[in-house]
Amino acid sequence: MSVLEIKDLHVEVKDDEKKKMKEILKGVNMTLKTGEIHAVMGPNGTGKSTLSETIMGNPYYHVTQGDILLNGESILDMEVDERARKGLFLAMQYPAEVPGVTNAEFLRTAINVRRPKDDPMPISEFLNELDKNLDLLDMDEAMTERYLNEGFSGGEKKRNEILQLLMIKPQFAILDEIDSGLDIDALKVVSRGVNAMRSENFASLIITHYQRLLNYIVPDVVHVMMGGRVVKDGGPELAQRLENEGYSGLRDELGLDIKLVDED
Amino acid sequence: MDKKTDFSKNKLLHEPRWLTQKRLAAKKLIPKLGMPKMEHFKENDIVFADSESPVFIQKIENNTDNKANFIQIGTQTVQAKLSQAMTDKGVKLLDIFDAFEQIPDIMQKYFMTEIIRADENKLNAIHLANLNSGLVLYIPKNVALDEPIEVKLIQDSRQKLDWYCHILIIAEENSRGHFLQHLSTIGDQKNIANLMVEVIAKPGSHLEFSSVEELGSNTTLYFERKAKIETDAHIQWAIGLMNSCDTVGQIDSELIGEGSYANSQLVSVTGGQQKVFLNNRVTNHGPHSTGLINQRGVLLDQSKLIFNGIGQIVHGAHGSKADQKNRVLMMSPDARGDANPLLLIDENDVIAAHAASVGPVDPVQMNYLMSRGIPYKQAQRLVIRGFLGAVLDAIPDKDVRKKMIAILERKLINGQRYRKN
Ligand SMILES: Nc1ncnc2c1ncn2[C@@H]1O[C@H](COP(=O)(O)OP(=O)(O)OP(=O)(O)O)[C@@H](O)[C@H]1O
Ligand SMILES: [Mg+2]
Repeated sequence: MSVLEIKDLHVEVKDDEKKKMKEILKGVNMTLKTGEIHAVMGPNGTGKSTLSETIMGNPYYHVTQGDILLNGESILDMEVDERARKGLFLAMQYPAEVPGVTNAEFLRTAINVRRPKDDPMPISEFLNELDKNLDLLDMDEAMTERYLNEGFSGGEKKRNEILQLLMIKPQFAILDEIDSGLDIDALKVVSRGVNAMRSENFASLIITHYQRLLNYIVPDVVHVMMGGRVVKDGGPELAQRLENEGYSGLRDELGLDIKLVDED
Repeated sequence: MDKKTDFSKNKLLHEPRWLTQKRLAAKKLIPKLGMPKMEHFKENDIVFADSESPVFIQKIENNTDNKANFIQIGTQTVQAKLSQAMTDKGVKLLDIFDAFEQIPDIMQKYFMTEIIRADENKLNAIHLANLNSGLVLYIPKNVALDEPIEVKLIQDSRQKLDWYCHILIIAEENSRGHFLQHLSTIGDQKNIANLMVEVIAKPGSHLEFSSVEELGSNTTLYFERKAKIETDAHIQWAIGLMNSCDTVGQIDSELIGEGSYANSQLVSVTGGQQKVFLNNRVTNHGPHSTGLINQRGVLLDQSKLIFNGIGQIVHGAHGSKADQKNRVLMMSPDARGDANPLLLIDENDVIAAHAASVGPVDPVQMNYLMSRGIPYKQAQRLVIRGFLGAVLDAIPDKDVRKKMIAILERKLINGQRYRKN
């Protein structure tokens, strides 16, 4: 079993307008073990993407306090690529486009950097694996010869993130709003992809605004984030409650002084 | 610069009288002419100091792969062959000095007369006065080459020997062909390479000119490549400048005829202390002509790269089109790059556009690739290759593309050697 621990995590970003640092995460605690699926919900701007990017190691986000431990070892000093090779994966809310690099070439590169230099994955094995996963995700083979995310629709980008997840097979996958912009059918397809990964050797942190996704990928734990902290943990029923009541009820119950976007 | 142009020592002197006279006339011009005119290029940016008089070369064995149609090492042609079918159809591929003897009429008509002239600038005059190597490709009317003509030109820098190499390509009416040159250097003496290509594309002809270049760092390179494109003729340039040397270069497409077409694609990667100045010019003279420029540069280390894209539509070229894209990617804070699009339009009824950008590698792209486990350097090479891909993918010949990518990869790895991971 592997464990990813987030301990009292404080994170700042540079506010481009005001030219000074702004604290986004104000002490996040969370423990993920392989075999588990966690969901994170929370109002817009509360720091969910900040949390995912920071775990993954995006240099834009500065950790000022706390730690992130993978099996007891701090990963804060590791660059993003090293963390990825250690088993972390982030399906991004807004995946980047890389013109000129085909999807297939990119996938092969990503797989082979995890293997010894003199033992790249044989092409036939790669293609088999690719075909299998394209099928599972109802994706057209032509997508693999297109340039990485270039000109992909919102939904296609999300599927492509899941294709990468299935090909790379990480231990810890953070899925940041993998369901946003997906139609109902695509939602099922993407969920099928994630569920295919579920095993004793896999854990996922699923960030979503919609309880609906959690009907397809049923989580073990639901965390609610507000104002840069996890304010409540629960089971799937917590997501249901938020769906019905919104965040203000929970906020008032907890006596938190946080302004929600729709109250501006 | 004009010293030591000593023809008596030149063993290539089985040349015709008219050529010798032409050379002498060019030699007289040298002190009167200035350097090539180029935005952002000053005479002292790159100095073309010629070597001492050439020494004679020991016989060179042809040990390069002999798949190529034509191989020249220094001033010696070591291979020149064509398929029987092409020979039967009258195609000619000749050492330039053989061409002066064997097809004097053609040579007298086209060699440095109407396409590139010696009196344009000092380096052109020096070129003609010192000409010591080169070749001629002649494709007769209505003949389509069955496969690309592959030419390997190897600069011999095991000795002090400036390289004045001239290529003349004549594509007669409705002919078709693909010319592919590969330039490299052996040895590490400091030498000048002054290389010229003249292309005449007669009505209805189609010519692709591809160039894969990896000249050494002790070379100082000047090149001019110019095509005269007649009615409905097409020319496609695909130039991969992966040289390691200081360079002043010009590519010129003269769209003379109605409906003529030029697509000028170029990629350049600079590294070390290299300085590269390039003019890529397309001039629309003929009505309904199309001139496209697409050039992309990648700068490593402390190198400098200037891209001037010049699109000119002259009066009378109605219904013509000029479009150019110039993009430069800076891989190092110490590199200096510039992309200057220039549109000169003297006609109303035309479509003209240009785009230029200079910038660093996109950190968002880098972070995305690295988040999949790809190490920094490898991710950087992917982004660069992707960036150059727009031009590389347009190269019709798959082998050429592969070759360019392989050379590119080598050059990038070399440029990244100071970074740890
Ligand atoms: N580059 C940035 N510059 C300035 N502020 C930023 C930057 N990135 C994030 N922030 C701020 O940090 C806060 C948290 O952003 P984050 O993207 O983590 O929220 P989120 O919970 O993922 O929201 P959403 O549900 O809308 O995706 C926001 O107030 C946001 O504006
Ligand atoms: Mg977000």
